[in-house]
Amino acid sequence: MTDFLDKVVVQPLRDVLQKLLAFLPDLLTGILVFAIGLAVAWLIKILAARIVRLLKLEAAFARSGLTEALQRMAVKDTPDKLIGRMFFWLVAVLFFVLALSAMRVPVIDQLLEKFLLYLPNVLVALIIMIFGYFLGNFLGRAALIAFVNAGVRPAGLASRGVRAFIMLFAFAMALEQLGIGRSTVIAAFTIVLGGAVLALALAFGLGGRDLARRLLEKRLKKDGDGEDDELKHL
Amino acid sequence: MRGKKTDLPEGVRARIADIREADILVGIPSFNSAKTIAHVVQAVEAGLSKYFPDRRSLLVNSDGGSSDGTAEAVRQAGVDFAAVLLDHRNRSGGFHKLVTPYDGIPGKGSAFRTIFEIARALEVKACAVVDSDLRSITPEWIELLIKPVLDEGYDYVAPYYMRHKYDGTITNTIVYPLTRALYGKRIRQPIGGDFGFSGRLASFYLGKDVWETDVARFGIDIWMTTTAVANGFGICQAFLGAKIHDAKDPGADLSAMLHQVVGTVFGLMEDYAEVWRTVRGSEPVPTLGFAYSVGLEAINVNLAKMLGKFQTGVRELAPLYRSFLPEDLLSFLGDLAGRPRRSFVYPDREWVRTLFHFALACRRRVMSREHIIRSLTPLYLGKVASFVIETRDSTAAEVEGRLEELCLSFEREKGHLIERWDGTDGDPVPPRRSP
Repeated sequence: MTDFLDKVVVQPLRDVLQKLLAFLPDLLTGILVFAIGLAVAWLIKILAARIVRLLKLEAAFARSGLTEALQRMAVKDTPDKLIGRMFFWLVAVLFFVLALSAMRVPVIDQLLEKFLLYLPNVLVALIIMIFGYFLGNFLGRAALIAFVNAGVRPAGLASRGVRAFIMLFAFAMALEQLGIGRSTVIAAFTIVLGGAVLALALAFGLGGRDLARRLLEKRLKKDGDGEDDELKHL
Repeated sequence: MRGKKTDLPEGVRARIADIREADILVGIPSFNSAKTIAHVVQAVEAGLSKYFPDRRSLLVNSDGGSSDGTAEAVRQAGVDFAAVLLDHRNRSGGFHKLVTPYDGIPGKGSAFRTIFEIARALEVKACAVVDSDLRSITPEWIELLIKPVLDEGYDYVAPYYMRHKYDGTITNTIVYPLTRALYGKRIRQPIGGDFGFSGRLASFYLGKDVWETDVARFGIDIWMTTTAVANGFGICQAFLGAKIHDAKDPGADLSAMLHQVVGTVFGLMEDYAEVWRTVRGSEPVPTLGFAYSVGLEAINVNLAKMLGKFQTGVRELAPLYRSFLPEDLLSFLGDLAGRPRRSFVYPDREWVRTLFHFALACRRRVMSREHIIRSLTPLYLGKVASFVIETRDSTAAEVEGRLEELCLSFEREKGHLIERWDGTDGDPVPPRRSP
């Protein structure tokens, strides 16, 4: 009976204990690395926020519409705080990865390897989204001004359409980069875009035949036939 | 900053080597002007023969790649000397004609650059440039643009025309009053398009590195005028009579023109801030030539279209304006957009403040400079509509009086701009009138 207990309970427990004792230094190293990482991340967070304030980037963020966009998304942090926070989590995650690596657990090592290989995709997707956001805003504004100056009445709606299209395009590209529903995203995007173009073509063709005719007539008429004023601005 | 040197085409260099030197150069920039350019060339040749028969003269047509036979029209245009009572045998100085395409960004400024290059190469004493779309040019224009440089020692001769009250609305509502308030010189047509200048000034222009900017397009006229004023060159204006011309470029839309002209004015404000900040009030510049009144072709104005664009602009662009126009001005614009035509008035003070805040927004780079200036278009149309409503039954003299009031508003409000130029706010400094 004693032998049985020794074999089934005591010996395995002793093995676990020995493994735990052997793992303890690695665990402590990992915890230490992570603790140092948190301290470094905290310092970097403060430093990054100060650099943003020092370079007066708040004004640039306000000009680019970033501050307004954050407010619209109910983010209460100011951009300098947000950048500080981003740096904090970046460094913290980096040290967390280092800490896990320091523990030398094969399963964790394999997971880490996969995670690190996937990380560039996340970064590229993030850059695409940010670029898409700014490009969408810029071109949306350019379209708004152009539509207004051309006398298009639903100028706001048209410019919002331009902005939404570019952001949607960027979102689809980001998803494709992340490998999420690759074929579904492409198919959905193609269907939406094709549908929109078809709807516009039908709407213009059926509903705006007269308008199209008038536009073409006006375009092809000789100078002086139009109803425009004759102001020479220069 | 030294300007980049352009390479004149081989054929032009050969002609320059052949001509060697010239006293007078008259440049005509053109693009698809076959219908009107022959008349301009004839007037220039007649003017040179009549008023400067003993001077070596050159006519340069700097063309932007016309496809309608403009170059051929220039080559074939000739003066019937007997009909204009001239004896061409007295022309001892010699007259040459040179037709060349220009290099660089398509636009009037690039055409001028080629003209300046040729003027420098030939060391000419006096130059003039005239538009190729003019229908009212006479030989006397050449005398009036060249003589002040050759005989009176002026470096820059701005044109002074009689124009219809609704012709040149960017000049009347923006460029003339703003340039006058900034630099203190009452140059009535700062972007007239037809100028006289010395060879010295042509070389000075070439030394500036601006030929890849809007100066290469419609910005050239105001750039030439402002550069001459701000750098202390001797300036006068010449009374040329009526200006009747075709539209500058039927293909160019208003907001593009506004962007090029107003963008150049705002850019120059930054370059010459130290010059205009110290100027208060304004003074007249000497005006040469015999002034007379002329009958002008009527201009139809589509008020409903202008007001419609103003209303759409104020409604749709309000969020954009909010980033650089003060709240009281925004509220005024909103109120104005809701008014019926009979009570539609865009007062001078509000218009001046609007323009100054646009200039400040460009200086502070609150967003893309092009977006800021193009978004001025509906407000500009609102001011023009208001001006048309106010002056519908006014005579030319009354309209000039009305424009004088607008200019004085610009001068009065200039303190508002100076106070805010370097990012400081405060009560406007009342301007002092110069004697």
